[in-house]
Amino acid sequence: MSPLTTAAPGAPVVDLDLADLRRDPYPAYAELRRTAPLAWVPSVGRHLLTRYEDIVHAEKLPEVFSSREEGSLLLRTVGPNMLREDDPNHRRLRSAAEPPTRPRQVRDLWAASFERTAHELLDRIAGRGEADLIADFAEPLVAANLALVLGLRTASAEDIADWSRAMMAGNSNYADDPDIWLRAERATRAIEGAVAEAAETARREPDGSVISSMIHAAGPVELAEIQNNVKVIIGGGVNEPRDVFGVGAWALLNRPGVLDRVLADPASWKRVFEETARWVSPIGMYPRQLTQEYEIAGVTLPAGSRVALVIASGNRDEAVFERADEFDIDRPHRPHLAFGGGPHFCMGAWVARHEVSAIAWPLVFSRLKGLRLAEGATASDSDSAAGRMDGWVFRGLTSLNVTWQAA
Amino acid sequence: MPTVIFQLPDGTERKVTAASGTALMQAAVSNGVPGIVAECGGNASCATCHVYVDAAQSESAGPPNDVEDEMLDFTASERRPTSRLSCQLQLSDALDGLVVHVPEEQV
Ligand code: FES
Repeated sequence: MSPLTTAAPGAPVVDLDLADLRRDPYPAYAELRRTAPLAWVPSVGRHLLTRYEDIVHAEKLPEVFSSREEGSLLLRTVGPNMLREDDPNHRRLRSAAEPPTRPRQVRDLWAASFERTAHELLDRIAGRGEADLIADFAEPLVAANLALVLGLRTASAEDIADWSRAMMAGNSNYADDPDIWLRAERATRAIEGAVAEAAETARREPDGSVISSMIHAAGPVELAEIQNNVKVIIGGGVNEPRDVFGVGAWALLNRPGVLDRVLADPASWKRVFEETARWVSPIGMYPRQLTQEYEIAGVTLPAGSRVALVIASGNRDEAVFERADEFDIDRPHRPHLAFGGGPHFCMGAWVARHEVSAIAWPLVFSRLKGLRLAEGATASDSDSAAGRMDGWVFRGLTSLNVTWQAA
Repeated sequence: MPTVIFQLPDGTERKVTAASGTALMQAAVSNGVPGIVAECGGNASCATCHVYVDAAQSESAGPPNDVEDEMLDFTASERRPTSRLSCQLQLSDALDGLVVHVPEEQV
């Protein structure tokens, strides 16, 4: 079924400027939820589905809202991979790759190394009294953790972060910039080499990593499949935990009263994590393609229609979350959509929860005394000298400049 | 077809009938039973479909499988000896009349 690149008959057409969306997509999403919960947006080339209930509904129907989107940017960047597959093929790859990311393995196999790396990074900056917590701490931390969990022993944290950035730019290259494609291609070549090498080693000495787990899986997995899926994991595995870390730290530094309460009750870091992921979802949307005609949000979509599930919008839906635009760790617990739902539920969820809420935040706030946003920071949640929120396909802080009393 | 009774945290209950072989989670979700979130759609990776099997029937429902057992350590509401992930519990005629308690929190 070839994808339909035009609006479904009867679907409202809404023009949105991609630059505006990158700056702050939330006002546009609020308007869409109110007036056109399923709208064709020409600049995106997809129908945007923006209400919580509709998104959950679509996620629960993978046989209709297929992940096999043709011409998907992700497919072009990394090749066939489990994110753009449906079951049973998705299941085969997912069960081969997943074991090292399950919560008990995270606790028993990886947590101690995660913590050591976090301490090392903090040792490096502690005496400086100022840093960009994204570039100097969060990104190298999650990249090193990812190399470890994947089993890429020869890749440095910097390699991983660079590769991730190059591929993420490809995945959101809705403007079709040729330079972006070129950089992404270079990164994917490098990953293929690193994976082939790691796979060789893991074949002889299993090490509990994702690559090792895929090599030794019960169902057969080809090297190319391992390579492509490692690319996908590197793509998402850096910016998602990094961005939750950054946005959550930012939200707390702007709210000293809330921060004090969290520091007094470390169990609440878990709530900070879930609320941050809801408030500014690191992944804002992902595409689906209809396998058959289906009516949703009052529009009958023909087979082949392309739909973007805008989870960033669902997470701000007032019908589900009161005062949805506010960051509030005390709000009634409601499942947010940041990890996606159904068979594609985020494989890195347990790794990210642990490295960010059990390690990164508690260590940063306990070791860097008197931590505050750098001069020029305002209480605004979207823009200041200390950091800037950017993106709509993926969203986070591009930097988080802070100061503290250096010992 | 087996019938299951979901006892909700607010004290009300919901009776659901589903074919043998259906996962308890599926029966709950298709019938809109509140409190069974099931984010991962039944793949034992999210721990948001947690239920407590009524103590009297816990034995006939059986113990959790290995993956499930691990995930049960990470549920939002406390784990108890009767805890199961409803996506890993298959309904059968032998379980007709099963009573399960839906915990306060899943996330
Ligand atoms: S539905 Fe996710 S663990 Fe049962």
